[in-house]
Amino acid sequence: MIEIRGLSKTFVGQDGDTVHALRDVDLDVAENEFLTVLGPSGCGKTTLLKAIAGLIPWNDGDILIDGTPVRGPGPDRGMVFQNFALLPWATVLDNVAFGLKMRGVGRSEREERARSLIALVGLSGFETKRPGELSGGMQQRVGIARALAVQPRVLLMDEPFGAVDEQTRRLLQEELLTIWEKRRMTVVFITHSMEEAVLLGDRVVLMSARPGRIAEIVPVPLRRPRSSDVGALERSGQYVEITAYLWDRLREMHEEQRPAEVAG
Amino acid sequence: MSTVTRHRGPRCASGFRGPRRASGFRAGPQPEQRPAPLRRLVNAAPLYQFLTFAVFAVGWELYARTRGGLLIPTFAETVQATAGLLGTAELWRAMYASNQALVLGFAIAVVAGVPAGIVLGRFRTLERFADVYLNILLVTPMAAIIPLLVMSVGFGLASRVILVAIFSIVMVVVNSRAGVRQVDPSLIEMARSFGATERQIWTRILLPGALPAIMTGIRLGLGRAVTGMVIVELLMVSTALGGLILEYRGLFKAPELYGTIVIILAEALLLISVARWSERKLTRWARPNPARSA
Repeated sequence: MIEIRGLSKTFVGQDGDTVHALRDVDLDVAENEFLTVLGPSGCGKTTLLKAIAGLIPWNDGDILIDGTPVRGPGPDRGMVFQNFALLPWATVLDNVAFGLKMRGVGRSEREERARSLIALVGLSGFETKRPGELSGGMQQRVGIARALAVQPRVLLMDEPFGAVDEQTRRLLQEELLTIWEKRRMTVVFITHSMEEAVLLGDRVVLMSARPGRIAEIVPVPLRRPRSSDVGALERSGQYVEITAYLWDRLREMHEEQRPAEVAG
Repeated sequence: MSTVTRHRGPRCASGFRGPRRASGFRAGPQPEQRPAPLRRLVNAAPLYQFLTFAVFAVGWELYARTRGGLLIPTFAETVQATAGLLGTAELWRAMYASNQALVLGFAIAVVAGVPAGIVLGRFRTLERFADVYLNILLVTPMAAIIPLLVMSVGFGLASRVILVAIFSIVMVVVNSRAGVRQVDPSLIEMARSFGATERQIWTRILLPGALPAIMTGIRLGLGRAVTGMVIVELLMVSTALGGLILEYRGLFKAPELYGTIVIILAEALLLISVARWSERKLTRWARPNPARSA
């Protein structure tokens, strides 16, 4: 469904050097696959996501969605942001309906769809509240509802639970699984948490930094649905094994990186 | 940025701000709180404003009675003169003339200043050209350009309007510019990801996001506009309220002189209050916790 071919992106750093944010990235994401992307900071995972979203230009390579090259943002993709990116002056209802409004959906239809998504993420009764009155976890539920409201075929999530506390994060992970099990869609989910990557993903894309490239793609053969018993899943041998493996690989990367960090 | 109040305070910075916090937080059993109506009265700003005013009035009266003379009227005389002035056609004519310059000049400042500030905020390259002029407007004593204005535009309404506009436009421009700049760039990215056009980014993100700062600029600009209005009348064109002040000074009519100043102060206060009120109404979301202050 998503095909990425030889994607490269460079930019000029502060000291004038050329930095390879992404170099020769090849990636295929299947229809309705939940793909998690894991890597150390600065490995270009957010750059990769923004490229798929059509928010940034790149130097070389192609991104195809159902065979159509990405030229900019499109209605087939919905994005969830790490810092929520909610309009502080707008109500929950207006925030959720924002994407629909940009697409010219009429008021009554827009509000009806927004309300059903607000119910889906468990925020019924908060329609007239503003983001400043909500907790971080509730704000990100609004962010998820807003992305789902445009009925995207691909959901792009940029470390969506990185800015909430650990307990809320676990609740949101379970809820995301529940929602995804109900309405299947293709998800590309950026994270820096190994546990999160394994818990949610069908495959984990492990990226390395400088240059940003795909180091390995690790399949996660844990059974689905996973939302019903996350606790048992996290105690299973397979889960423990995969997270341990990912950590070994990440530690290797950090050690390879260290001399470069000193030099740079 | 230093002339601008930050609008997006951290969420948790606003806590419970009641009388208990103010008296220091102590452990152990707390004394019972005062009954609600009394507490509200004790916490009400108008009460304190009235008290300080009363102290000021009594102090003035005492000073004027013991040390005063021809040039320092007592508080009572001033109140009396103020009331008297409000009944004269002369005052209202002066008010009309002054406010004509104020309204026109301030309107120009807002109509030109808000778009200018927004454009400067969005397109940074323009700033290199504009910055020096804004700084000049910010720091130069504006009274210095009055003779220049009179030479080029004359003594009429036009020069008063221009001066009021010049006085107030800086605040409007600088704050509008800062307002656009402090709009979270991730909101623009978010809007683009949902397919917003450039026009929609302006109307749905930049303008609403900058509105609190724009309103602050308008309020501060209004204050400067009143200053400009009076200064130009005092220094250049002896008409209107400034003219009255000069006239009463010449005639040694101290109570009327003070009364005129009181009327100008009252008008300025009223205008600022209206501006502050509409600022609050329009930008409820920008305060740290709207739920509690409502």
